Amino acid sequence: MMNILKIIGKFFQKRSLAFITIFAYGIIYLPIAVIAFLSFNESSKSYIFTAFSLKWYGEIFLDERLFEAIVNTIMVALISTLVATLVGTFTAIGINSLRKRNRAKMMILNNIPVINPDIVTGVSLMLVFGLLPISFGMSTMLLAHIFFSIPFVVLSVLPKLKELDLNLFDAALDLGCTKFQGIIKVIIPSIKTSILAGALIAFTMSIDDFVISYFTTGNGFQNVSIWIYSRIGRRSFNPAVYSYNTLVVFITIIILIVINKLGYNKKTKGMIR
Amino acid sequence: MSKLKKLSIPYLVWMSLLVILPTILIVLLSVTDLDIFTLGSFQFTLDSFAYLVHPEVKIAIVNSIRLSGVATLISFLIGYPVAYYLANMKSKNKTLIVSFIIIPVWSNMLLRIIAWEKLFYPNSILNMFGISLDLIGTDLAILIGMTSMYLPFMVLPIYSVLEKMDRSLIEASKDLGAGTIQTFFKVIFPLSLSGVVSGTIMTLLPSMTAFALPERLSGGKTLLIGNIIEDYFMKTGNINAGSLISILLMIVIIMMFIGLLRFDKEGETLI
Repeated sequence: MMNILKIIGKFFQKRSLAFITIFAYGIIYLPIAVIAFLSFNESSKSYIFTAFSLKWYGEIFLDERLFEAIVNTIMVALISTLVATLVGTFTAIGINSLRKRNRAKMMILNNIPVINPDIVTGVSLMLVFGLLPISFGMSTMLLAHIFFSIPFVVLSVLPKLKELDLNLFDAALDLGCTKFQGIIKVIIPSIKTSILAGALIAFTMSIDDFVISYFTTGNGFQNVSIWIYSRIGRRSFNPAVYSYNTLVVFITIIILIVINKLGYNKKTKGMIR
Repeated sequence: MSKLKKLSIPYLVWMSLLVILPTILIVLLSVTDLDIFTLGSFQFTLDSFAYLVHPEVKIAIVNSIRLSGVATLISFLIGYPVAYYLANMKSKNKTLIVSFIIIPVWSNMLLRIIAWEKLFYPNSILNMFGISLDLIGTDLAILIGMTSMYLPFMVLPIYSVLEKMDRSLIEASKDLGAGTIQTFFKVIFPLSLSGVVSGTIMTLLPSMTAFALPERLSGGKTLLIGNIIEDYFMKTGNINAGSLISILLMIVIIMMFIGLLRFDKEGETLI
């Protein structure tokens, strides 16, 4: 009898854990489902679903300001990811070869933008950029995105570098490589999965950023987040942005599934954290 | 090995310019009457401190601590079991299921906030299912919103600690006569504490400093500290008082960070 009770108890435990997990995924996904639902709504009113329609998907290309904001978002994300990944990787190699105490100090500096609230980072950058002889707009937003992306690349690359035997690098130098060749031919190939993971995080942070962009943009330069924020509750809020968002999520899911499949075939680890 | 040291120097310069310089500037602004637009002469003054006892600032500080604290607690209570379940799951698609928890992060956060906002008005698409909510302006609306936004950041660090945990320790505990619950509280939970601390910080910080979320989900009624900072910097031009609040916020965050360092020497559970 006791045994049966125990078995039921265990079963229930697992069941309730599974229930909580489904609930958690539910509240995380509900807003995305709502956005997707509204993107197929014929009506532009968000409180009533009139009929199924794909018209807002076409609207993405017809609303000039929105389309421009989407292009800006992608452009800023691509450029900042590229620069941050390059700089972050070389910086991490530098930090890795520092002595322990200096390395810890550099890591504290590196982690400040990670840990600092976005709003404080945004305000800080706004103040500094105000002192520089550049006008607010794409260049300042781009600098801001590069700034907050580099620390994530460093954090992603550094653990892998620590595992790397740097004698290999010294051996390459002894065999006649220049330092630069040594980095490119020995170090980079062995840390490339973490570089990729870092780039992925940087891209994600950039494409979704609102707060820091909000404080560092100017002269009408808008990314999607700022486009949304300046139009919430107004007539110029075009539901086409729901379609854009739904497409982004859909593409992300596809990419994730593909990476997962590839990961299984090649048995590579560390692609997805 | 030391040949590569120089590669970290440009970064040191860059970070000094964009982290240390603005921090000095903010400190300066908060204890002087320096005008950031003209950068003329300035005098030491503690005028900005008077803003700290303004009713709206006091309320915002209390709201920030209260709402982010409760949201973090809810996220922990939901997030720990989820992380535990995911870590012990035996499925071929485990990585995929776990990574699905971060997909929503790719979706624009403002839109996700708007989606909740739409559901919380009495007139919403929920009417189709015979449901009508009237939550805008309530704490519950903000708490649901915060939990939904930041729960993934609680789950992931705890998951990664539980996943890496040495299973033989759990078996040893059971062999030595501990029950499931005893094993959990004496072995598993203490060992997962670094993940809990990271998760707590990663949930607490963004919810404490959010400004778009409370603004939308309270209909502009509930102010958080982020709303005050945004208001002072972008709307009323009260840069000096805004700086003071920012620097205080930063100090609180750094203290939490030092707390984290005690659990995690090089800050690598952050991602």
